[in-house]
Amino acid sequence: MKAGRAASSGKAHATRHRPGRDRRPGPVVEPIGGGPPEVIGRIDLSVELAPGLRLDNPILVASGTFGYGIEYGDVVDVQRLGAICCKGTTLKPRIGNVTPRVTETPAGMLNSIGLQNPGVDAVIERYAPTWAGWQVPVIVNVAGESVEDYVEVARRLDGVPGVAGIELNISCPNVGKGGLQFAIDADAAGAVTAAVRRATDLPLLVKLSPNVADVRPIARAIEKAGADAITAINTLSGIAVRPDRSRPLLGNIYGGLSGPAVKPVALRIVYEVAQVVDIPIVAIGGVSELADALDYFAVGACAVQVGTAVFADPTLPIRIIDGLEAECRRRGFDSFRPLIGTALPRKPGASSAKGVEYRP
Amino acid sequence: MRLVAAELVESREILPRQWLQSYHAPSLAIGSRAGQFVHVRPGDFSGLVLRRPFSFNTIDAATGVVTIHFRAIGRGTDWFAHLRTGDSVDMLGPLGRPFEVDPRSRHVLLIAGGLGIAGVRMLADEAIGDGRQVVLLFGAGSAAEVYPSNLLPDEVEYIVATDDGSLGHRGYVTDLVTEYEGWADQAFACGPAPMLAALARLAAGRRERLGVARLGRKGGGRTDAPGSAAARRKSFLQVSMEQNMGCAVGACLGCVVMGTSGQPQRVCREGPVFAADELDWEAGW
Repeated sequence: MKAGRAASSGKAHATRHRPGRDRRPGPVVEPIGGGPPEVIGRIDLSVELAPGLRLDNPILVASGTFGYGIEYGDVVDVQRLGAICCKGTTLKPRIGNVTPRVTETPAGMLNSIGLQNPGVDAVIERYAPTWAGWQVPVIVNVAGESVEDYVEVARRLDGVPGVAGIELNISCPNVGKGGLQFAIDADAAGAVTAAVRRATDLPLLVKLSPNVADVRPIARAIEKAGADAITAINTLSGIAVRPDRSRPLLGNIYGGLSGPAVKPVALRIVYEVAQVVDIPIVAIGGVSELADALDYFAVGACAVQVGTAVFADPTLPIRIIDGLEAECRRRGFDSFRPLIGTALPRKPGASSAKGVEYRP
Repeated sequence: MRLVAAELVESREILPRQWLQSYHAPSLAIGSRAGQFVHVRPGDFSGLVLRRPFSFNTIDAATGVVTIHFRAIGRGTDWFAHLRTGDSVDMLGPLGRPFEVDPRSRHVLLIAGGLGIAGVRMLADEAIGDGRQVVLLFGAGSAAEVYPSNLLPDEVEYIVATDDGSLGHRGYVTDLVTEYEGWADQAFACGPAPMLAALARLAAGRRERLGVARLGRKGGGRTDAPGSAAARRKSFLQVSMEQNMGCAVGACLGCVVMGTSGQPQRVCREGPVFAADELDWEAGW
């Protein structure tokens, strides 16, 4: 275990966790008939993703599924969310890809929005004043075509009231130069991360692409380059075909697959990354109920993002937060940290190599 | 915009594979307008991850019943078609912006292609309620797919075109428009994209063909911002657009159509109703 800021993260905490050791003596009641004592006080769901980025709870909404936090209006109480990751933001405005841009697939959906956004300056002007009035942190998802793009966007976001952090999208599969080249090469991923790290003191998350042979060297490079946390994963590259089979369905042909269908892939990647980095991991991929979030905690994530499922149920993130609190209470935990890392290999280094890795 | 549990009170197959369903949803039945829609969640999230958008087909504020009309074309719509009376679904609505009828319009022309009737049907009720005359031009492939006239208010003049001539005019519904464009003060359309594009071209040339004055004060008055309700109210043709949709609240940017401004317009937020001249019909989006 490396020293440093990760020591305060949920993951580090969890790896050191021994049952009962972390539990402060709190108000508990012994349930009739045995079982763990139920905690009746406040459950600590907070998690620190970076110095200066402490979330009240570990449930975030994913970039691209929640706009700029205002679109759902009164339907969602955004103040209760752990954090909001806003739509991918680029230096210059982008009009995005031709339509159709979305389609449902078995237990998932494909999207190829193509990073439509009004550009970083317009995002700061239109939305940051609103964010500044919120308690919930807003993490700006940043995309670009070159290192210079990323650095310049980060520089402009630096110090803007209402911007709580940056999530580097080095893995958008839907645009020709969407930064994907940065996500598939460890050196490039490290270089862009380091460049942005030098440009801003904002909390820095970097979002991994699953569209690689082995994500671990990339994750290590990102950690070494100074990222505060890793988000895993972005969508999987895929296509659909028109009902009349005349051509691929999406206007852009390629799209990114999300939803419950990708969860096993994301779970595997979080499991692998958790064994090679010490910085916090924010898991994303098909979370559609509390059990999914618990699975991600078990393989080492200290927070999760809810994405596609928000479309079906905008109130789901809030219900997962409530469910998580109830789960901790039921199991006698006064924080959710004991849930983290429980399915990881006992001995560090034993790693997933102990099982036969399925890599066709 | 609200999340509402709506109970199915009636479900009928009114045409082959086309269903008309009535839901008890009092909070949606008040304040929702023709052209707006609901985003409804299929119950099986493990397989069907997206909600399905449906225009309000009719609304009865007195009973709190809203209806939707859809064709069962896939797993999602099949799921809805198999619902039983008493089942409850989760509706998000009302969403999008409604049709804007100029208060001075006496003659309202509705144009529907096939299932597009679901998008303009409610406007017939609203227009008649406001004392306007309504002509509905309806186009379908054949007589078997023609919307039943008994589902329309008696006051509506109903003109049908079929591709094969099995009922009414033989040919496209757009063929009928020139006959009514002089009579109509405003037109409202919903249907396949090529039909709407053809109507937009007709509407663009209408003033020249007819030599009619624009509604509103000559020369004077403010110019309303494109896309504003006021600007739409003054436009001759408004169209209700369809697009594959994700969130339906403007967050995901999935459901765009290209605007004449060069900016993609969200069907769920700026639409689904647009003035025809707000959209770039040649963009190929």
